[in-house]
Amino acid sequence: MTAVADSTTRTWTLVGAVQRRATDAPEAVAMRAKRLGIWQDVTWADYADQVSLVGHALLSLGIDPGDRVAIHSENRPEWLFTDLGTNAVRGITVGLYPTNPAPEVAYLLADSGARVLIAEDQEQVDKALLIEADCPVLEHIVYLEHRGVATIDHPKLMGWEEFLARGREHREANPRALQDLADSAEPEDVVTLVYTSGTTGPPKGAMLSNANVEFASSVIVDGGGLYDPPPNPGDVILSYLPLCHVAERAVTTWTNAVSGAVVHFAESIDTVTVNIREVQPTLFFAVPRIWEKLKAAVEVRMSAASRIKKANYALWMRVGQGIATSMLANGGRHTLWSRIRYGIGYVFLYRALRERLGLRRVRAAASAAAPISPEVLFFFFTMGVPINELYGMTENSAVATSNRHGRIKLGTVGEPHPGVEIALAEGSGEILTRHPGTFVGYWGRPDATAESIDADGWLHTGDVGVWVDGTHLKIVDRIKDIIITAGGKNISPSELENALKASPFIREAIVIGDQRPYLTALIGIEEDTAGQWARAKRIPYTTYRDLSEREEILKLVQGVIAKVNEGTARVENIRKFRMLTKALDHEDGELTATQKVKRSALTQSFAPLIEDMYSGADQLPGGDQSDVIVVSRGEA
Amino acid sequence: MTTATKESRKTVRGRPQLFTSYAREMSIFNTRVKRNWAIVGILALGILPFLLQRDMVALLTTVLIYAIGGIGLNLLTGYAGQVSLGQAFFMGLGAYTAAVLGGESKGDVIGLGWDMAIWLPLAGLVPAVIALVLAPLAARVRGLYLAILTLGLVFIGEHIFKEAKPITGGAGVGRAPADPVFLGFDLFSNQTILGYRIDRFTIFYFATLVIFLVLAFAARNFVRSRFGRNFAAVRDRDVAAEVMGVSLLRTKTLAFAVSSFYAGISGALLSIVIGRISPETWNIFLSIDFLAVVFIGGLATITGSIMGAVFVVLLPKLVNWITGFIPGAGGIGDGGLLNVFELQTIIFGLLIVLFLILEPRGLYGLWLRLRNYFKAWPFSF
Repeated sequence: MTAVADSTTRTWTLVGAVQRRATDAPEAVAMRAKRLGIWQDVTWADYADQVSLVGHALLSLGIDPGDRVAIHSENRPEWLFTDLGTNAVRGITVGLYPTNPAPEVAYLLADSGARVLIAEDQEQVDKALLIEADCPVLEHIVYLEHRGVATIDHPKLMGWEEFLARGREHREANPRALQDLADSAEPEDVVTLVYTSGTTGPPKGAMLSNANVEFASSVIVDGGGLYDPPPNPGDVILSYLPLCHVAERAVTTWTNAVSGAVVHFAESIDTVTVNIREVQPTLFFAVPRIWEKLKAAVEVRMSAASRIKKANYALWMRVGQGIATSMLANGGRHTLWSRIRYGIGYVFLYRALRERLGLRRVRAAASAAAPISPEVLFFFFTMGVPINELYGMTENSAVATSNRHGRIKLGTVGEPHPGVEIALAEGSGEILTRHPGTFVGYWGRPDATAESIDADGWLHTGDVGVWVDGTHLKIVDRIKDIIITAGGKNISPSELENALKASPFIREAIVIGDQRPYLTALIGIEEDTAGQWARAKRIPYTTYRDLSEREEILKLVQGVIAKVNEGTARVENIRKFRMLTKALDHEDGELTATQKVKRSALTQSFAPLIEDMYSGADQLPGGDQSDVIVVSRGEA
Repeated sequence: MTTATKESRKTVRGRPQLFTSYAREMSIFNTRVKRNWAIVGILALGILPFLLQRDMVALLTTVLIYAIGGIGLNLLTGYAGQVSLGQAFFMGLGAYTAAVLGGESKGDVIGLGWDMAIWLPLAGLVPAVIALVLAPLAARVRGLYLAILTLGLVFIGEHIFKEAKPITGGAGVGRAPADPVFLGFDLFSNQTILGYRIDRFTIFYFATLVIFLVLAFAARNFVRSRFGRNFAAVRDRDVAAEVMGVSLLRTKTLAFAVSSFYAGISGALLSIVIGRISPETWNIFLSIDFLAVVFIGGLATITGSIMGAVFVVLLPKLVNWITGFIPGAGGIGDGGLLNVFELQTIIFGLLIVLFLILEPRGLYGLWLRLRNYFKAWPFSF
């Protein structure tokens, strides 16, 4: 272990923080990854050593300060090694989503000008080799898994072992190289490019500097902005959301380095539900989509449970609603009476339910990255898992507001963190933030940067917000998404969409109505749950489309919409709906890598559905408030 | 260790499914819960004889002995999938080996009077060696043919036992079993320990308990080893096992030998509890008793064999008690429709049939079902 820091180590960089931990507690566990069925420990000493090896390897490949290194991989220890190894040589990390198709990979590599790409496996290497000709700057492709790749003969390809061996050689020849670079590091050094999801245009790379990251981790990790009380080395984290997203970077890399909480890497996105039960994290971060899925899974599995178990569930969920209500009235804290009720229910339901979901030991949970329906949050409160909804975005290093323990207000994103200025723009109500975490700018896009940060240093978030009780911020919607109906009424579609998506059967809901006389919606069903429901009802179906267009499913959707309409004003009622004929997908350009709907692309590709509703033709499968339209496609 | 190191290491605690090494995943008690229950069970077995009457202590000893034999047969039938009716023969071999080595010489009957420390292991080893000799025969056949072959073994064995008078005392006469004197300490006589007088049944119970625990743990350990996995491979599909490089002959031979070792020990101990052994003891019905232990307890589970032994040994007691309430099923020999033994036999037969049809995994399967019901709580799957 030669990666021992000397006294000049700068702890304000993440690399410095890792080195300090490696010095203070070298044998403490930094992370675990499941390999060959076993969760294998990586100690802080290992972590620091790997970071230094990657750093030296990059130096041996000729990476200079300011050069970009791209990572195209699922979450795994090597992601962190590469990320910090790049920072150790004052390079800039660029994360790619594992689901990015080849053309997007080409765009991201070309736009960032990455010189080295770390590709996880054959799938990612194939993408890289396909588009490698379009990225002349790309010099090396390092693969982590040799299966299916080792036989490919390509001058740019190199295995991870070979890469590390180069690092080891370089380290022996230049033992002080990294220390010299660390000494010259500046707070203004850009450490990473985080590409925005690009719901409206091509993704832009937001530059975050050492100073940004330091501020963000001090506020959301040490300051308890993310998890309250703040994380410590006894905490357990499961890392499963894409690390190239700023939120997962904050909850994995930053939280780990700053607090010492042990990160566990899920084997893959498909095994998260199994892995979370094994790991039973104490801190859990999820995006609304995951929370919705968990809720839907519980409801569907309960509907198939035996009578006694159903009755037990119904009873304690009713009690739980009482508990949740009283907790919420108390800012998210237990009262004595609610604690007693919870204690009894814990024996009969809550403990087992949380255990199954992998949330048994969760002491703090958070939801961010997209708006979430209060109904979903409330569901988890009933089983004793309080979720703090918080707000932040790539451009302000994920630092803006959060609900604090004991001061939770459901439906809001909470209060500004200490040291964070938040203002609402006159007129538009756009949320403006100002603090040291405001990003440096968009990579190679000074025009876009100027639009985003004004002369006074305020970041224009593009979100519209309102204050609740003067302390808590509530997000209305993205400015660009707000619907102004033909009648001149301003409506926030995401609120309606989330209310619809709270149903376990609905996966996608897109509310339409801009410049139209009334609101309508495009609905995509959740194939797993709706399919299970259909099978239980003995409704035959073949494909996603066939299932979507069944009369029973249409009626089911109609019922959900009617329920949502009950809770809204007349102008916000959804009058008609049509079914999406396919599951939306990232590869087809309908979703972003973070599963956000690309509205403009969607309204174009599904224009016939929309026209069918507003022209009054009513030919396609869907319905309105009273009838459903079933189209028979022949019994061929 | 710094506190941070300790804290971070502690993160595996309370997470029974978070395995950080294969050793922990494969350990006999891979969760604290299992280990704690095992400790509770062993403590209960330690306290029980002081709470029960003498005849019940003897019965409990029999349960342990049946459990040893049951575990042995389960290794062969449950784990390696070789149905054997020969258990009684190997038990007899064990009993007579013990009697010859550890018993007294009387008349024509041979007895060397050696110490238990010598005869006990040999009571297991001799049947194991004989099984080793017979195994190549048995390994050539499977299923029903094997059952018939081992059935033949019992009949041949019974005949030999009846004729070998210097060893067995001959038909209808029998002989005294081995003396359980372990390193000079008589395990079957009343003793005063630390001022407490402890009767011989309790003493022998504890001796049996220790042997049982050693053998049960050994079996548990054995089945998670390479050999245990070979057994399962041969059971599940012998052709596939052989293709994967598991030698059928070697695996089956090993299964027979290990199983016979357990049978021998069990037979030797059983003979002491019975008090006087005649060649007729080691007949086909004893074999069936042990098959019942395995099938009712559950195939391929050590814990199940113990449950099965409890059930099979205590059932007669239970039937006896129940018959008091059944009209027409009077006591022994009072001319009722059924006597106790008939009823007992009928219930055994019925139970084996019912278990095979309804719950092939036996009592252990019932337990698994119950456990899974609560394991899946609050869901159903």
